[in-house]
Amino acid sequence: MHIRLAMIVGVMFLKIELKINGKFRTAEVSASERLIDVLRQKFGLVSVKEGCGAGECGACTVIMDGEAVCSCVVPAFQADGHDILTVEGLEENGELDVIQQSFIDCDAVQCGFCTPGMIMSAKALLMKNPCPSREEIRTALAGNICRCTGYVQIIDAVETTAARIGVCRR
Amino acid sequence: MDKRSYKYIGRNVTRFDAVDKVRGRFPYLADEPFPNALFGAVLFSPHANAVVKKIDVSEASRIEGVEILTYLDAPNARYNGSEWFPGQDDYPDETVLTGHARHVGDRIALVMADTEEKARKARDLVRVEYEILPAVTLPETAADMAGMLHEDGVKSFDGSICYGDLEKAFSSAAYIESDTVTTPKIHHAAMETHSVLAIPRGDVLEVRTPCQITFGVQYSIAQVLDMPLSKIRVIKANMGGTFGGKQEVVFEVLCAWAANRLKRPVFINTTREETILSTRTRAAVKGKVETALDADGTILGRSFELIVDAGAYLTGTKKVMMAMGKKASRLYRIPALSYKGSVVRTSTTPAGACRGYGSPQIHTITEIHTDLMCRRLGFDPVQFRLKNLLGEFEEDPSGGANIGKARVIECLSRGAAAFGWEENKAPKVSGGRFFTATGFACCTHGNGYYKTKYHDFSNMSLRLLEDGSAILRASIHELGSGATTALAQIVGEVTGIDVSKITVTEADTQFTSYDSGCQASRVIYVCGECARLVSEAAVKMLTQEASKLLDRPVRFYEGGLVCEGKKLDLGAAVREIMEKRRVSIEVNFEHRPESNPASFGVHFAEVTVDKLTGLVKVNRYLAIHDIGQAINESFVRGQIYGGIQMGIGMALSEELPFDSMGIPRVRNFDKYHLVNAPDMPDPEIILIEDNEPGGPFGAKSIGEISTVPVSAAIVNAVNRALGSSLTDLPLTPAKVVEAARNMGE
Repeated sequence: MHIRLAMIVGVMFLKIELKINGKFRTAEVSASERLIDVLRQKFGLVSVKEGCGAGECGACTVIMDGEAVCSCVVPAFQADGHDILTVEGLEENGELDVIQQSFIDCDAVQCGFCTPGMIMSAKALLMKNPCPSREEIRTALAGNICRCTGYVQIIDAVETTAARIGVCRR
Repeated sequence: MDKRSYKYIGRNVTRFDAVDKVRGRFPYLADEPFPNALFGAVLFSPHANAVVKKIDVSEASRIEGVEILTYLDAPNARYNGSEWFPGQDDYPDETVLTGHARHVGDRIALVMADTEEKARKARDLVRVEYEILPAVTLPETAADMAGMLHEDGVKSFDGSICYGDLEKAFSSAAYIESDTVTTPKIHHAAMETHSVLAIPRGDVLEVRTPCQITFGVQYSIAQVLDMPLSKIRVIKANMGGTFGGKQEVVFEVLCAWAANRLKRPVFINTTREETILSTRTRAAVKGKVETALDADGTILGRSFELIVDAGAYLTGTKKVMMAMGKKASRLYRIPALSYKGSVVRTSTTPAGACRGYGSPQIHTITEIHTDLMCRRLGFDPVQFRLKNLLGEFEEDPSGGANIGKARVIECLSRGAAAFGWEENKAPKVSGGRFFTATGFACCTHGNGYYKTKYHDFSNMSLRLLEDGSAILRASIHELGSGATTALAQIVGEVTGIDVSKITVTEADTQFTSYDSGCQASRVIYVCGECARLVSEAAVKMLTQEASKLLDRPVRFYEGGLVCEGKKLDLGAAVREIMEKRRVSIEVNFEHRPESNPASFGVHFAEVTVDKLTGLVKVNRYLAIHDIGQAINESFVRGQIYGGIQMGIGMALSEELPFDSMGIPRVRNFDKYHLVNAPDMPDPEIILIEDNEPGGPFGAKSIGEISTVPVSAAIVNAVNRALGSSLTDLPLTPAKVVEAARNMGE
């Protein structure tokens, strides 16, 4: 268990420490604040989109300790001591992650609103399973709704990413 | 021109905004808070039909910095948010705020504060006492209850289309067959919820909105604020999906009015529940269709009687209803037709534009009917359709535009072969409970407004810059489909300019010219052709000016300037013309189409129905489309896949039901079942590209039509699997189990 006690500032606020995109950050959060609010409002990570506020659409998906989670249903204080990755954290030295490039190359992007969350769900899958089958990709993306693409080119992009990473033997 | 020599047309150019979007750096309105803007939280009615008796804002207004505007402050001006040009004659029954709530989610007040949290908290402190009136939830009884919901007492908004001798058709018929089909009220489910920002700037009011018709937004605001159109600047904001849900004006007028009144920027954003309950929906339709046939199965005549649910306000629903009728004579050869539609208002979320604008509803009704009729009469459903489908350049007997280079017969015959229709048409059973069968449906849709009651034109300018790049100044609304990139491909094809050096603007009513809006499947056919023609005009101007400059004939050949066999650099030519002839290369062009052909599509689906659970799985899918020419094939495929996702939902799982009190049973995606990745098939796509006259490089529409035949194809497959006659959409597990229980009876 890796839980640290949050320091209470006054009555209403909790101080949390967490790692966001590789950097240690702190924030004062209220009990009702959600992880998505902290990421968007306190850290300006607006790739994290709110589509439903109920954990049903996946637009707000971030990776928390290696697992894809809906940041709209994670209370901010529960992120204390955890490691959060958003789309903003995927680029290295200004270069796109292979999954981002694959989304571009496969035309997996239309309106773009679901895209960051979709990429994070796919990334979480590939971190655990670098050679997923098409069915495994579908299952991993089951919690991410896209109204534009019918998912086909998104699934293509995840397959392409896996092929480009090159661990798979097909 | 040989298609294979195209540099950009049909090529999969990467969309301009793709990099920003995958980086999460493509800002939607809610991502960029505007300095000093008030956040506006709308106070929505919790009742379906209720009059406000008392509204008490005292507690809410005690919060520092809170501004509250209620229906008591609001102008009485009524408008219809579906109108996009003066004089369109859509009945105005909506106000920015109302003291008579006509659906759960109707707008009572706007509560504003410097933060969203504060605005929402204050909003929840406003006390409202309502006198609750009976809810009007059934379209069938809505006309009789009209006075309860609207003081104007208008019972219904009716319309009809008639041609030919229907009486003769029916009296001479060998068979008369009839079915009644109902299609559900549907949420568009754009992943971005509705939002709008209004900024007063001196005497100009600026409104930024992810919309489809900036000039329509401008017009709606002008009606309520009594301002000249020229003082209302509407800028298309980045769009997180629309599907017609952001086509009509919803919160724009309220936001503009509040900002103008307070002389402060106001930003309205909504939650998913608010977007579901308070914006627009696909109109639910109950349609009876009756067809008269001769003994060989040739259609002699067809009649329709439809009741269309507008929800609480008329919105564009009468337009939608008439558009449905206008599609009825553009797929099959129907010598005599009577179409009667009645639009009623109910105390439910308003309907309006939704991808296909009535086309999915009317074709769902007729294509399910066609299959059931064929089964009852023993006709083969493919042969029946092949006999009755329209051929190329036939006239539309209802008075619509010529059908154009129709390739629907090819779509059906090629599709039937590719999908193995003959081999697969008999249902298969496995494990005693899994029934597998195939279904299909045909459809048509339009390409703009030519020969309808609405005008259709597009005005663009193209400037060739002094470095050989280009800007197309166009009133485009990028909805996510890639329209701006596709237009750049067209400009690049004509001018030879590298597509990466071409910028296509989106609509800004202050700087871009008039365009009828990104609606009616007109963007590629009309705006795309405008982009082609303005490019040709710019090239012509360039060659003329270059000829004058060099005093020698300059021609445009194979994508470049040529003078006496020598290639000239385009940028250098523009520079020298500007420098020496004091002329810039910019042309303005207005395209007024004189054709509006039909696009066609046929979809095939193989489904497996689980008799025990009532779940339907779509195993295989084929979409075959007559699109003239793909400008960007990958974009076209993307549109089709997305259209299929939406249509499967309409067939099987998506609906917005209300109880007898008018209380919505669905408020979020937990109970609104969109097709997700595991339930989506991997469709096969075949494009028939046979060059439609009047479109850029022969292209015509795909975005709307791709969702039109889906629901009927799925329902027809389920009905074949079970031998059932299901016509009440969506086919939820309960309905399927019930139908399966009756099998063989």
